[in-house]
Amino acid sequence: MLELLAQTGLNAVYAASYISLIAVGLVLIFGVMGVINFAHGELYMAGAYTVVLMYTDFQVPFFLAVAMGLIFVGCLGLAMERALFRPLRDNPLGGLVASIGFLMILQAVAAMGFGVRMEHIAPVTQAVIEFSERVRLPVARLYVIIAAVVLLSALWIFLKKTRFGWALRAAAQDPEAAALQGISIKQTARIAMFIGAGLAGIAGALTAPLVSVNPHMGHSVIITAFIVIIVGGVGSLEGAVVASVAYAIIHTFMTTFYDGVIADIVGLSLMLLVLIVKPTGLFGSADRA
Amino acid sequence: MRRLVIILLAACALLALPHGLSFSQQEILVFLTINILLVSSYRLLTLTGEWSLAHVVIMGVGAYASALYSKELGVWVPVSILLGGATAALLAVLLSFPLFRMKGFYFLIGSFAAGEIIRLLWKRFRDPFGGPKGIKGIEPMPDFSIGIYDFDFFEPVSYYYLSALVVAVCLWVLWRIERSPVGLTFHAVHWQDKLAEASGVNLRAYRTLAFAIASGFAGIGGGLMAHYVGTINPNSFDVDLMVYVLTWAIVGGTGTFYGPILGCVVLTVLNEIVLRELGFEQMRPLIYGLIMILSILFLPKGLESIVQHLTTRGRGKGVEEQRAAE
Amino acid sequence: MTQFLEVDTLTMRFGGLTAVDGLSLKVRHGEIHGLIGPNGAGKTTTFNMISGFYKPTSGEVRLRGEVISGLRMHEVARRGVVRTFQHSTLFAEMTVLENALVGTHMAFRPNIFAAIAGWDREDRRGAEARAREALEFFGLHHLAGELAGELSHGHQRALGLAVAYASHPDVMLLDEPFTGMNPEETRGMMGLMRKLREDGITILIVEHDMQAIMGLCDTITCMSFGKFLAEGGPAEIRNHPAVIEAYLGGARHVA
Repeated sequence: MLELLAQTGLNAVYAASYISLIAVGLVLIFGVMGVINFAHGELYMAGAYTVVLMYTDFQVPFFLAVAMGLIFVGCLGLAMERALFRPLRDNPLGGLVASIGFLMILQAVAAMGFGVRMEHIAPVTQAVIEFSERVRLPVARLYVIIAAVVLLSALWIFLKKTRFGWALRAAAQDPEAAALQGISIKQTARIAMFIGAGLAGIAGALTAPLVSVNPHMGHSVIITAFIVIIVGGVGSLEGAVVASVAYAIIHTFMTTFYDGVIADIVGLSLMLLVLIVKPTGLFGSADRA
Repeated sequence: MRRLVIILLAACALLALPHGLSFSQQEILVFLTINILLVSSYRLLTLTGEWSLAHVVIMGVGAYASALYSKELGVWVPVSILLGGATAALLAVLLSFPLFRMKGFYFLIGSFAAGEIIRLLWKRFRDPFGGPKGIKGIEPMPDFSIGIYDFDFFEPVSYYYLSALVVAVCLWVLWRIERSPVGLTFHAVHWQDKLAEASGVNLRAYRTLAFAIASGFAGIGGGLMAHYVGTINPNSFDVDLMVYVLTWAIVGGTGTFYGPILGCVVLTVLNEIVLRELGFEQMRPLIYGLIMILSILFLPKGLESIVQHLTTRGRGKGVEEQRAAE
Repeated sequence: MTQFLEVDTLTMRFGGLTAVDGLSLKVRHGEIHGLIGPNGAGKTTTFNMISGFYKPTSGEVRLRGEVISGLRMHEVARRGVVRTFQHSTLFAEMTVLENALVGTHMAFRPNIFAAIAGWDREDRRGAEARAREALEFFGLHHLAGELAGELSHGHQRALGLAVAYASHPDVMLLDEPFTGMNPEETRGMMGLMRKLREDGITILIVEHDMQAIMGLCDTITCMSFGKFLAEGGPAEIRNHPAVIEAYLGGARHVA
C-alpha cells in the first residue's frame, strides 16, 4: 500500500510538471494580452509533432529536437500575436474565436501532414530509476520534471529580477499605466506570446515519447489547463503552479484508486465551485474579464 | 397581401428544395434545419449579453431525455420530443443557480465546465445513459399519411418536411418573444443591467428566463436529431459542435434575428457542399478555420452587416435593424 | 403617524472604515429633500443603501413604516422608490422611446405567454402611451426615434429622469443630477424637478454642490464624515456654523 502511494505520488509529480508548464503559459498570455488562447492545447500538440518530425523522421538528437520544438512553437505564438491578437485587441470575444480558428488550422495541418493515426516514437531512454520493485520513475519522465522545475524557476527569476520581467508584470496588471510609463505594449505582448507558447511547445516536445501523439491530443490538455488557471486564479502565475500540483495530486489519486471519469468530474466540479465562491480564483486578485 | 405572397413563395421554395438534391445532401438539409433552431435559440441567450459554452450539451440533454422517454417509458415520439425540450429548459433553470453567480468570461468558462460535467455523467453511467456508446435504436418518428403525402421518416425528405415545420413554429415563437416587451427587457439587461434593475427588472429572473427558453428550444432540436439519427452518444454533443454554433453566430452576426441563421446556412453550404464537391475533404477544417479568422478580422459585424448595407441603400427601413445591430 | 420615508440610524462599514455612522433623517411626503455634504461625507453610500444597491451594516430604511433596506434594487423599485444614476447612464444603444418603455416595466409587467400569443396588445399600447407621456413631461417627445446615446448631454439627463418617471414612482432618488451642467441646463433641470414635485412625487437629491440646490429644496440634511450634521430649510443651512465649518474644512483638506 505504501508503495502504491509512493508510485502514485511520483505520477502526480510528473503530471504536475507538464500541466504547470502549459498552464503558466496560458496564464501569461491571458495576463498580458487579455485573451483566452483556446489554441493553447494545439501549441502543445505542435511541440509534440516537432519531435515526431525531427527526432523520428530526421534522426536529430532528442534534446536538439526538443529545443527546436520550443523555438518553433514560440514562433507560432509570435505569428498568432501579430496576425490575430494584435488586430483584435479590443475584441476579447473575437480573440477567442480567432484562436479557435487557429486551433482548427493547426489540427488540420497535423492531420494532413501526419495522418490522424497515433504516432509511435522510439523511446529516448529505457532507463528507469527504481526506488523499489514497485516504485519506479522512468528517466524520460524525470526529464519532464527537471525541465518544469528549471524553466519555471528561470521564468520566475526573469519576471522578478529583470527589467523585461518588470515591464511584463506591469503590462499584465495595468496596460494603460504601463504604456504611460514608456513600456512598449507590443514588445511585452511579443515576449509573453513567445514564452507562453514556447512553454506549451516544450511540454509537448518532452512528453511526445510518453503519450500518444495525435492531432486531437490538445483537447484534454486545454480542459485541464482551464481548470488549473481558474482554480489558481486567473492572472496569477504562482497560483497556476500551486493549482497544477494540487490538481495533479487529486486527479492522479482519484484515477488510481477510483476511476478516470470520476476524477475528471471532480476536477471540473472543483473549478465550478471556485467560480461560484470566488470567481477570481484562490490566488487571483486582478479582474480583467 | 404582399407579405402573404412572399410567405407562400418561400414555403413553396422550401417544399421544392429537397427534390433538387442528392440523398446525402438531403440528409445534410435535415441537419441544417435542426442547426438553424440550435443557433437561433443560442441567439436568444446572447440577447442578455451572456455567451454560453454549454448550449450543445443542453441540446444533448433534450436528445437523451426524448430518447429515454420514448424508449424506457413508451412515450409517443412527438410528445417525447416536447418533453425533451421541457427537460432541457428545467435543467437550465437548475443550472442557472450556480452559473448566474458568474458573468461574462467567468460565465463562459463556468458553462463550459457544467456542460463537460453533464457529458462525463453520460459517459460514466451506463444505466440509463448507455455509457460511452450512448443510446442505440432510438424509436423513429411514427409514419403517417396526410392523404396527398405519405410521411416515411426513414426518408430524409419526409423528415426534412417535419423538422422544417417544427423549426418554423419554434422560430416564429422566438421571433415573437424578441419583438415583445420581454425581448426589450432582455436587451435592457444586456446593455445597462443596473439601470434595468433600478427600473424594477429582476435581473436574475430575466437571465434565467432567457437561458431556459434558449435551452428548451435547443432541447427540441436535440430531440428532433435523436429520433432521426437513431443513435446518440456523449461525443455527438462535444465541444467541436459547440465551436460550430459559436462560429455560425459570430460569422453571421448576432445583431439581427436572421444573422445567425445566415451564418449557419452559408457556412454549412460552403463546408458540406462546396468544399466536399471540390474534393477538399481533408482540408475542410483548415479552410473553415481560415474563414473564421478572416471573417472576425475583416467582417467583425458578421454577414448580416453586408445584408444591411445592401438593404439600406434601397429603403430606409434597414436603418432600424442596423441600429439594433450596434 | 408613521413617516413617509425614514432613515433610522443607518450604518455602513467597509472593512475597518465606517462610511456612514448612525445617520437618521426623515423625508416628508411631497417635498424636495436635499442630502448634502463635502466630499467623502458618505452621501453616495447613504444613497446606495436607500436604493438597495448596498445592504447596510446596521440600521433601517422605512417607507410608510415598511422596512426596505436590505432588499434588492428591483424590489426597492417595486415599492415605489426609483433611483437615477450619476453621469448619463442610459441604454445608449436603444431609442429614446425604448428607454422610456423599459421604465414602464413595473406598471406593465411583460408576460411571455401573452406576448407569444398576442394577448398583450392592450398592455403594449398602455406602456407606449405611458412612455410617450413621460417623454412629453420632460420635453423629449420629438426625439422618441433617436438613439439615446446620440442625444445632447442635457437631453440625456432628462431622459434618465423620464425613464424613472415612467414607472410611476412615489419617491425619486437623484444622484448628483447637476454635475457637469452649465447654468442654463441647471435651471432647466430645476424646473423639471419642481414639475415632478407638483406631480406629487417626493424627491431626495444627493448633491455635493450646496449652492445648486439651495433654491430648490424644501428641507436639507447636511452630513460630514459619515455623520448627521444639521437639518433645516435652505436659509437655516446656509447660515449654520457647523455646515460652513464642514465645507470650509473640507475644502482645506482637499486643497
